Amino acid sequence: MQTKILLDEGEMPKRWYNIQADLPTPMDPPLHPATGKPMVPDDLRHIFPMELIRQEMSTERHIDIPGEVRDILTLWRPSPLYRARRLEAALKTPAKIYYKWEGVSPPGSHKPNSAIPQAYYNREAGIERLATETGAGQWGSSLAFATGLFDMECTVYMVRSSYDQKPYRKSMMQVYGAECIPSPSNKTRSGQAVLARDPDTPGSLGIAISEAVEDAAAHDNTNYALGSVLNHVCLHQTIIGQEAREQLAMVETYPDVIIGCVGGGTNFAGLTFPFAGDKMTGKHPETEIVAVEPAACPTLTKGLYAYDFGDVAGLTPMMRMFTLGHDFVPPAIHAGGLRYHGMSPLVSRLARDGVVRPVAYRQNEVFEAAVLFARTEGIIVAPEAAHAVKAAIDEALRCRETGDAKTILFNNSGHGNFDFSSYEAYFGGRLVDYEYPVELIKESLARLPATG
Amino acid sequence: MRTVGFLVNPIAGMGGAVGLSGTDGGVEEAVRRGAVPHAAVRAARTLSLLRDEDIAWCTCASPMGEDVLTGAGIDSYTVLYRPTVPTGAADTTAACRVFLAAGVDLIVFCGGDGTARDVFDAVGGEVPILGIPAGVKMYSAVFAVNPAAAADLVRRAGDIPCRDSEVMDVDEEAYRSGRLTARLYGYACVPFVPERIQGGKQVFEQQDEERAKDDIAAFITEIMLPETLYIIGAGSTTARVMERLGLAPTLLGVDAVVNAEIVASNADERTLLALLDEHPRAKIVVSPIGAQGFVLGRGNQQISPAVLRKAGLSNLIVVATPAKLAGTPLLYVDSGDAALDREVGDSMLVVSGYRMAQRKRVVHSE
Ligand SMILES: Cc1ncc(COP(=O)(O)O)c(C=O)c1O
Repeated sequence: MQTKILLDEGEMPKRWYNIQADLPTPMDPPLHPATGKPMVPDDLRHIFPMELIRQEMSTERHIDIPGEVRDILTLWRPSPLYRARRLEAALKTPAKIYYKWEGVSPPGSHKPNSAIPQAYYNREAGIERLATETGAGQWGSSLAFATGLFDMECTVYMVRSSYDQKPYRKSMMQVYGAECIPSPSNKTRSGQAVLARDPDTPGSLGIAISEAVEDAAAHDNTNYALGSVLNHVCLHQTIIGQEAREQLAMVETYPDVIIGCVGGGTNFAGLTFPFAGDKMTGKHPETEIVAVEPAACPTLTKGLYAYDFGDVAGLTPMMRMFTLGHDFVPPAIHAGGLRYHGMSPLVSRLARDGVVRPVAYRQNEVFEAAVLFARTEGIIVAPEAAHAVKAAIDEALRCRETGDAKTILFNNSGHGNFDFSSYEAYFGGRLVDYEYPVELIKESLARLPATG
Repeated sequence: MRTVGFLVNPIAGMGGAVGLSGTDGGVEEAVRRGAVPHAAVRAARTLSLLRDEDIAWCTCASPMGEDVLTGAGIDSYTVLYRPTVPTGAADTTAACRVFLAAGVDLIVFCGGDGTARDVFDAVGGEVPILGIPAGVKMYSAVFAVNPAAAADLVRRAGDIPCRDSEVMDVDEEAYRSGRLTARLYGYACVPFVPERIQGGKQVFEQQDEERAKDDIAAFITEIMLPETLYIIGAGSTTARVMERLGLAPTLLGVDAVVNAEIVASNADERTLLALLDEHPRAKIVVSPIGAQGFVLGRGNQQISPAVLRKAGLSNLIVVATPAKLAGTPLLYVDSGDAALDREVGDSMLVVSGYRMAQRKRVVHSE
């Protein structure tokens, strides 16, 4: 009985899959924040290289992965596909549970799948330095790792509270050669403005984004990099799903249910888009695709499908997506990577069209699932990935009820080796089950100004 | 150096061991059944942990403090009050007034709900108070969870914030006959350690009670609908909703509001039922009251089962600050109508911030 299904390095996908080619109608364009008019490529040139802008807007089905990028990806790719036999046994389920393990990358998650190509295209465009934000630290570590390999400089604006609380993420960025600055900082005007108002602020992702964008716009040699949400980031992650499809084919299987957690939506997009393409083009119309989000920040299950800004300050383009409102501040749940008011426009579109079904879970049940997973499969997952684990377990338990031997595939997006304080809080009974009070909010929506 | 006033209600907690609830009016019966004063034992545990602290102690003569201090190894203190034996409620209030006149920074007492009420009568919100639990069962939220936690709070008082904590008026006579009536009596100022939920990917911001109340009030006023009756329950969190509307709240009672105007202040059950006749669309906003977190049945008796049924349970909105919820892992309902309690279900959503709520487990009656 096989536990790991492995591909050779030579079998790693050579192209990314662009789901925009298989949508029945084109995506709604992003709108310029100032004019409200559809964005044109030139609007983004001061912060992104042309090739990434082209990928963002492309409708070609496949885009070649540059050789230099593929060489680096082989440091950990192809990533293993596991059959979770011990978990299946513990659940007494007839279901077969498979998971793609993205925690094998050096920084510990799926994030470098996009950090490497982003650094590459920027270097090709003559850019010497990248500026970015990080909340959790996963993306900051990944871009630090990637820029180091291309001899570029990297400045990471890390949300102050995380900077203080997760010293090892900061050290990791330092080891990779990046500069990690607690945000808000005195280096930018937006940071100075916030500090003048509130010197003790813990910071927020919204502020950190403003700082990184301002830094990039102010320096000719510097661009901005975003680790989630955008189409080109989803595109880079599709290497996950293409590998998984290959690996399952090696054991003559195709999944019935595919599951991923969603923050900005990119690890989910990465695993599920190749399968969603199969679903939309009629090859496998019955596949169920499930997006898992926190009940505290239930963008897909409870949000509105509308044009909204990507950041708190309203500086980014407006995108048509599921949103809880750009002024919504999600509570401090431990899955920091899932605390985002909006959602990838591509994932949003698939959810609106019914290709993807969203579900939401509360913190304690998610950690309970993660602990069961650790005690059966050994891996201690990141709190974000734990959401996918929970949904997979629930699906498998439903199979026990129905006797259905479904094949379940989920994305295990990262390890939790820097998240032990979260596990400690769980065992200490200190995790709060936040829940977005949607009924109360709906009652008042008629009286609120329209969001788009 | 900080100055701390310390007193013991020597007869508090004597009933429990002999099968009585509370000792107000029942001391002789308790003694007859063989009860021994153990408030002194509980208080000594706290004090022995504070032996080496730089504290100027003010206290009462034995049996209301001095004996406990010396027993705990503290021999530098000032006796400011001499009680008459047997001691009574008047001794507690008189001692507290003397402590206040001496300019203490904090008053620490050992006793039960009745003692808390007596201390509050004298002190109000003038200085922080803290209870070492000795009584049979505590409904007031002014007590530390145990003597060691009390010592920790005394040690850190001054460096940590205080919060409004409910003092409950428990009718012990009724309690002994098996009925519990607990009224919200007032708000004392009590030091507490803000729960910091750390790690994860974002630290929990320091839990500022006042800001949390403002956030809750901002949300509730935002979702208030026109031509709808709002019944606003007792307590400082719901009071903030009234204040945000520019209205004067009844801190310890129930108010009724329509179109941001008060239609009844400190309303009783009959008034509420009459208002519900007039206004078929109604919402009830309440906050858990007391140390246990009673959503229904304690502190908001005016919001009776009849009122709840008439408004509809689905129109009940529960609000509480995160710090309050951190201290009450379970919420209790005991409306006096078991069927209604069951309809509440096993969990409820509690609004804890601006557009945010927590799912909490609910226990029915006791
Ligand atoms: C391990 C892990 N999984 C998932 C996410 C969520 O991001 P996305 O939805 O873009 O995959 C993050 C973000 O920080 C993460 O660190």
